[in-house]
Amino acid sequence: MRLRYLTAGIIIAALGCLLAAAQEAPYFVTYDHHMEEPGNLEIATSTTMGVPRSGQRFYFAPYAEFEYGVTGRWTSELYLEGQSTSGDSAVFTGWRWENRFRPLAREHFINPVLYVEYEGINEASRIQKEVVGNAPGFGEPNSELSQTHAHELETKLILSSNVHDWNIAENFIVEKNLSQSEGFEFGYSLGVARPLANLASAVDCRFCRENFTAGLELYGGLGSTRGFGLHDTAHYVAPVIAWQISDNASLRFSPAIGLTHESNPVLLRFGYSYEVRGFGDKVKRLFGGKP
Amino acid sequence: MKRITVIFALAGAMWCQNLSYEPDPNWQAPAEAATKANPLAKKAGVVGGGKKLFLRNCVECHGGDGGGLREKHSADLQLPVVQAQSDGALFWKITNGNPDRGMPSFSRLPELQRWQLVLYLRTLTASSGRE
Repeated sequence: MRLRYLTAGIIIAALGCLLAAAQEAPYFVTYDHHMEEPGNLEIATSTTMGVPRSGQRFYFAPYAEFEYGVTGRWTSELYLEGQSTSGDSAVFTGWRWENRFRPLAREHFINPVLYVEYEGINEASRIQKEVVGNAPGFGEPNSELSQTHAHELETKLILSSNVHDWNIAENFIVEKNLSQSEGFEFGYSLGVARPLANLASAVDCRFCRENFTAGLELYGGLGSTRGFGLHDTAHYVAPVIAWQISDNASLRFSPAIGLTHESNPVLLRFGYSYEVRGFGDKVKRLFGGKP
Repeated sequence: MKRITVIFALAGAMWCQNLSYEPDPNWQAPAEAATKANPLAKKAGVVGGGKKLFLRNCVECHGGDGGGLREKHSADLQLPVVQAQSDGALFWKITNGNPDRGMPSFSRLPELQRWQLVLYLRTLTASSGRE
């Protein structure tokens, strides 16, 4: 059964590659300071597959992203997410609307970005786009979890630096469930990444080293105002790799290893994104406006 | 016939080119950055990679010949006011962008690729891309 779900997940992720595709950084959880180009729309499909401990069930949590560069310093993104658990059901788990603002116009040694996200999700959500607070339980059926709705506000302070072609990014996360009194939950995410080659070749190649970026992420929860610390929290270390398939398309993969008993032993993440350049201008033209 | 084709091609390029481009006076590279030398200056062989990067990252706003696009209000990279800038100044502008005027930062590209772009920008003249 587990193999069937894994196979299905890989096939769906591969099909996603045919439909969509360009996120420059290879990270799945960590954000760096690079914003979406103004007027461009990035359509992405990603998947988090949780390989369970004994007694838990395998799950497959796909999500779609629509990221738009509103201005050079403001990027807005809409997420739609779902989840399927082996031996259980498949459910729609909600939506998220995130906004990132870059207060400083120029590049600095440390570049801050402010992040605000509103989440209209339910407790069956498993995409784990961030890990905060204490580790969730995985025992209840989807029929129960999907009935518990959560309106959450999530904020992040993103700090990111480029040092000799290395990107180093640190995210500090504070999340508040507006539906229930859970206090403020905390989390963190760290990432380092580097392209495998720093010179571009003249030929149009697909498998050149310059098209690959590799790195490492570390992320986890830090408890909440009701109990700050590492007790009963999930943490992951995750190698990441991104492949720029074409000018507009990229593919990402990350096997995350759980570091604590509360973590899933392994999270497999796949992502594919496609950049629609000049989307804003095209829409304006469609409605008779000037770009 | 060939002459007429060339005249029409030139006229077309002139029509699209952003000859009205006016540089942002507040967008100036600091002196220290402007004096940086291009480490690839003596490696003409890598300019082809710069062209590929230009086609991938810059064409949408600056056009295939770098003449700028009027509808995008983007810089005409062939103009003397651009070409007279030092390699270091162009590198700084590619790195930082001018987000409030629509020019994104390309700091996500490795340093040497940004220098490759500067090398390629030097090949953009009034006749390039219109042959």
